[in-house]
Parts: sequence; C-alpha cells; structure tokens
Amino acid sequence: MFLASVFFVLVSAILCVAAVGAMFAATDAYYLSSSDAIAYDGLARGSASPVWSLTAISGQLVHSPPQGLPFQLLVFASHSLKSFPSVVDGLALLSRTAPELEIVVLMRGSSEIAAPVLRMLGLGDLAIVVGSSALYGRYNVRVEPFVMFVDSEGLVRANSLVNHAWQLERLWQLARLGLAPEERPAPRLERLRRHMIRA
Amino acid sequence: MMVLAVAAKSLIAVMLLVAGGAKLADPASFAAAVRLFVPLRSPWLAVRAAAVGIAAAELALGAASLTLPSVGWLNPLAFSFTCGFIAVSSVGYVFHRGRSCRCFGALSDRKFDATSVIRSAAIAVVAGLSMLKVPPALLAVTIPGRVLVLLGGVVVTVAAFTAARALAFDRRRGMEV
Repeated sequence: MFLASVFFVLVSAILCVAAVGAMFAATDAYYLSSSDAIAYDGLARGSASPVWSLTAISGQLVHSPPQGLPFQLLVFASHSLKSFPSVVDGLALLSRTAPELEIVVLMRGSSEIAAPVLRMLGLGDLAIVVGSSALYGRYNVRVEPFVMFVDSEGLVRANSLVNHAWQLERLWQLARLGLAPEERPAPRLERLRRHMIRA
Repeated sequence: MMVLAVAAKSLIAVMLLVAGGAKLADPASFAAAVRLFVPLRSPWLAVRAAAVGIAAAELALGAASLTLPSVGWLNPLAFSFTCGFIAVSSVGYVFHRGRSCRCFGALSDRKFDATSVIRSAAIAVVAGLSMLKVPPALLAVTIPGRVLVLLGGVVVTVAAFTAARALAFDRRRGMEV
C-alpha cells in the first residue's frame, strides 16, 4: 500500500533531476565555467547598442551612442585593468592616435579606488562612467576587461574580451569597416531604434 | 501495470511542467505558432493571451498531477490535453508542414512533420497508461513526499524557463547577425 506512493515520489524525483540535467546540457555553453561561454558575451556586430546618458566621475555628460564623434569605445572594466598591462598600453595608444574615437570606461558599479587606479595606470584622461549590473546585462557582458566599439548610429561595430593590445588594434580595424547590408538591423527595427534615440 | 500507470503519470506531469515553463519564457514565439491555428484577423493581444493561457494551463495541470497523484480526474484531463497535441500536430502537419511548433518553446526546434504526429501519439499513449486503475489509497503521498515533488516541479519549471529564455535570446542574436 505504501510502495506505490513511494515509487511515484521516487520516479518523479528522478525525472525532475533528469529534466534539469538535460536542460543544463542544452545550455552549458552559457555558463562561464565552460570553455566556449565567452563567445556568447557581447552583442552581434550590427545590432543596436543600448542608448544612455550618464555623468562621468569628472562631471561631464557622456552619451552612448557618441555625439560629435564617429566612434565610441566602451571599456567594461574597472580596477581589473591593472591585471592586463598590455590592454592598458593599447588603450593609451588608441587615445593618442585615434582622435575620431571617444573612449569611455564603463564600470559595473561605484568604486572609490577605480578612478585612482585608472589614473595610476595612465588612463586618467578617459571618461569614467559608473554603470550598473543591469546595464552590463543589456550589453550581455559578464567578463572583464571587455570592449565594444559603437558607431554614431548606435550600432555595434566590434566587441570582445581583450587581454592584449593587439586585440584592441584588430577590433579597431574591424570597427572601421563599414557594415554590410545583411549586418544592419531590419528596417522596422531600425525605425523603432531611431525613434527611441530621438525620444 | 500499476507501476506503468504511476510512472506514466509522473512522466506526463514533468513533461507538462517543462513544456509550460519553456513556453512562458518566450510567449511571443509561441504566440506566433498559435497564430497558425486561429483566424488571420484575430488580434495579436488575444493570440498572445491564448498562448500564455495554454502555457499556464500546462503548468497548472503538471503541478496538480505531480502533487496530487491520487486525484483520479486529473488523468483524463491530462489525456485530453495530449489528444489536443495530436490534433494540433496533425493539423500542423497538413497545413503548416515544416513550420516550428514551439511545443517546448525555444528548448527544441521541432517542426510540424510526420514525426511530430507520431511523437504526440506516443505522448497520448503514455497519458492513456496513466489512466489505468490505481486505487487512490495506494497513491496517497505523504506531506513530505508531496513537498519534495513540488520542489522538484518548481526546479524543473524554473530550469525550463531559464534555459528556454537563454536559447531564445541566442537565436534572436543569431538572426540579427
């Protein structure tokens, strides 16, 4: 009399575990512990980048997409940059040699030591903006340091996790390549996006 | 036979939870599949509401079957649901062959084809097995057992929702490239 109910609970528990396991297997690439998870971070080239205006630590108003310059480089990092001296060198080089590029360091949250650390690294001239985990989520960024090139139309030109200066250079080259028609958003989405930017 | 009936009941309940959770993760995609079966002039809001309603009904039936196994009338209800799956996959096979059915939301890419009709029939057979006579007294699950299966059901639903949402996001991302 007791066994049927026990059997039901047992079978249900096993099925639940199996179902969760199957779903985990289907999405394992999204977990950071897997080798190819990082490929899922960021936004696709040509897709619309989030629109925002935030006040930098220095007091200036920073807009994304950029206003007045054709390109913007968003650096998703804070004091983690100190572990990647090559990236710091690459950013310093870009800020000197690419006047058409606005470089913005977008932090995940407020940090008292981030600005002094960036100054110490020689990147004190860059605009530092305090974002949020939600904003990082809109960019689909989980790993740092991550960079994203956005054009003045608010379209993503290139993005990736970076560990070396040469990666920044390659991404900058890719960012300057025009978007192919098939890389652009669908016309309806584009109209909606432009409307939202105007609003 | 009693073992088969009990296992079938459990299987159908978990399947309904997975299907419902996955559909709720991306209601717009499922609504697009529902739209194939309603008049073209139906308002999108009504189609979307119907899609959410179907997913919610699957969740409710799955949860009830899992936590109240001794309630007999849930078995024919689940069976009639699975007969609905046969009807939908058959009509889909005839009129919308090759279109995505979104039966499990973004968790699967299954389309309306002959295999989907056979699969639906197999699910209905399993649901039919769960209707085999099992004295309710034998299936009187204790409160701790009920809590355990309920927790399992919640975990399965949340996992299905999360996985389907991630996959749906990635598919949309792929389409944008």
